[in-house]
Amino acid sequence: MTAKPVDRGIVSVWRWNAMLGGFVPLVAAGVPLFTARIPLAAAVIAEATLLAAILAWIAWYPAARYRHLAWRLEPGGIFIRDGVFFRHESFVARTRIQHTDVSQGPLQRHYGVAELKLYTAGSRFTKIELPGLAHGDALALRDELQREGSDDAV
Amino acid sequence: MPSENAAGFVPDRRLHRLSWLFVAIGYLKQFLFAIAGVVFLGAQNDYALWALLGVIPLLASAAWQQWIYRYGFGPRGLVIHEGLFFRNVRNIDYQRVENIDTERHVLHRLFGVAEVRIETSSGGSSEAVIRVLSLQAVREMRDRIFAEQQGGEPVVPAESAPEPAAETVLLRLRAGELVRYGLIDNRGMIIVAAIIGLFAEVGRQEAIERYVQPVIDRFPLADFAAVGATIQVLLVVSAIAGLVAGTRILSVLLALVTLHDFRLSQSNDDLRVRYGLLTRISLTLRRPRIQAVHQTESLLHRLFRRVSLRVDLAGGATLNDQQHNGQPSRERKLWLAPVCTKDKAAELVRSALPQVSLEGLDWQRLSPRARWRLFRLLAALWLLLAAPPAFWLLGVFALAVVLPVLPLLWLYAHLYVKCTGWALHDDFLVLRRGWLTRRQSVVPRNRIQSVRVTESPFDRRYRMAGLDVDTAGASTARMRIPFLDHDTARSLAAALYALPAR
Repeated sequence: MTAKPVDRGIVSVWRWNAMLGGFVPLVAAGVPLFTARIPLAAAVIAEATLLAAILAWIAWYPAARYRHLAWRLEPGGIFIRDGVFFRHESFVARTRIQHTDVSQGPLQRHYGVAELKLYTAGSRFTKIELPGLAHGDALALRDELQREGSDDAV
Repeated sequence: MPSENAAGFVPDRRLHRLSWLFVAIGYLKQFLFAIAGVVFLGAQNDYALWALLGVIPLLASAAWQQWIYRYGFGPRGLVIHEGLFFRNVRNIDYQRVENIDTERHVLHRLFGVAEVRIETSSGGSSEAVIRVLSLQAVREMRDRIFAEQQGGEPVVPAESAPEPAAETVLLRLRAGELVRYGLIDNRGMIIVAAIIGLFAEVGRQEAIERYVQPVIDRFPLADFAAVGATIQVLLVVSAIAGLVAGTRILSVLLALVTLHDFRLSQSNDDLRVRYGLLTRISLTLRRPRIQAVHQTESLLHRLFRRVSLRVDLAGGATLNDQQHNGQPSRERKLWLAPVCTKDKAAELVRSALPQVSLEGLDWQRLSPRARWRLFRLLAALWLLLAAPPAFWLLGVFALAVVLPVLPLLWLYAHLYVKCTGWALHDDFLVLRRGWLTRRQSVVPRNRIQSVRVTESPFDRRYRMAGLDVDTAGASTARMRIPFLDHDTARSLAAALYALPAR
């Protein structure tokens, strides 16, 4: 059984998020750079370098995370793989899922994706997230995981 | 179960008639530092008396709370009416009650009462803290609630409550053992830190002037400067040795008081822990709720040929959903045995988790590359931190200081890898890690909530992965095995999460 990728739409969501997030350091660095008494050219070069780095990040990171993010429904539960630098693979048994959330932000709604959150009675990983599913898939997966009730909770 | 309407139930039992005293003390504790400051430093000032006047409304509200508070055993659960201005009715399902713990300080014992904590699996703080009940009432509450859980026996009147089941004592610690524990644990350091903290709290300047300055003034600094260098070194060394010995003695005394008459006993499916000379603590560890057993063996433990054993309980202290970086809500360690011999520890593990037997396990090692990786990591850190200052101070001779450490690091890496491993049984998983401080955790497989395989960039370079096991019992000891071969980690994770047939 191979792991399935999520919906491609999540890459756009992450790119928008990264753009909004990248705006902050750009301004935060820009204000002192352009008000300090250094040559204007130096300030422009520094700002341009930062902008290029942020753009490269926006182009690369969401796509890289998308390539690695995958999930697989198994008879006993679900397997989720996530992360670019620090990768992790979570294994959650069906019977251990206490409750689930399917959540969508405004951007996610626009691109038709949703995040599935699985809650366990655990202590360190009480919430296990699977972002980027197509909304319909997320609902179907939730129902599939809940089909056999969680009677043996703790 | 009778499905009566719980809303119609009116609880009629009341708190012990001295409850107000203990509630008021509970309030006062929150101002402990302020009060200590007033007593230590400001006793001669007039406003100290005004501060004491503030106690009167506290007493009044405590008395009022006692007057209003009612509890009772409803058809489905414990019902509590409480509240000063805002009345609150709390229903705690019998089935959800995990533990009924009691805590008794000196004053409680003087009046034959106890503070009762009702714990459920919801995690975080106690579901209800009842301040205070007579011992008779506590026994009644325990018997009633646990009898209801056994399958809804008919409600018996309080007078004819069944006798508690026979208890067998599994472990008793005598003074000798507690002295060992004190020497190993070294909690005296914490007291010293707390005293320093108190000084900081009540105002450094005044407190230091009043208590520390005279000591320093009396110290013959001039004489100290006059004696030779050898004597100076000797004096400093003996002062440090004295401090170390002093904190150890303090630790021993602390152990003798806090863990006085430590008993672990078993009745049916419960383990009971009782300890304390001044504050008597009684905890119930229900066996089905035990999530893991941890055994710790530090260098000092080995010197005394002892280990420490504690358990994680479900709902005992979980991290908050909303704040993942939250602190475990209860700091008290759930001891099975603060100190015991290794053989005894194996026996106790068995009584906590009957399905576990630690003999004849098939121990698995870390990745074959783990030793080399750990050595490289340690060596890189050592060279980075130690080499520049050494060369700056000693020049070429620095090599004589820096290089001999490397074989020691190799030895450490070797021992660490040798002492770290895991063993998988049909019913449970055992993790072992560390060489200086050796930790061993036993987790029944049916308690595992989820499993996570993690790979850092360094892990990928060495084709390794770490494995985290999560249970419902939060503990400070993270159940993690690092440096596994990455295929091994994956197959172990897959094996762990596919639950064995129950």
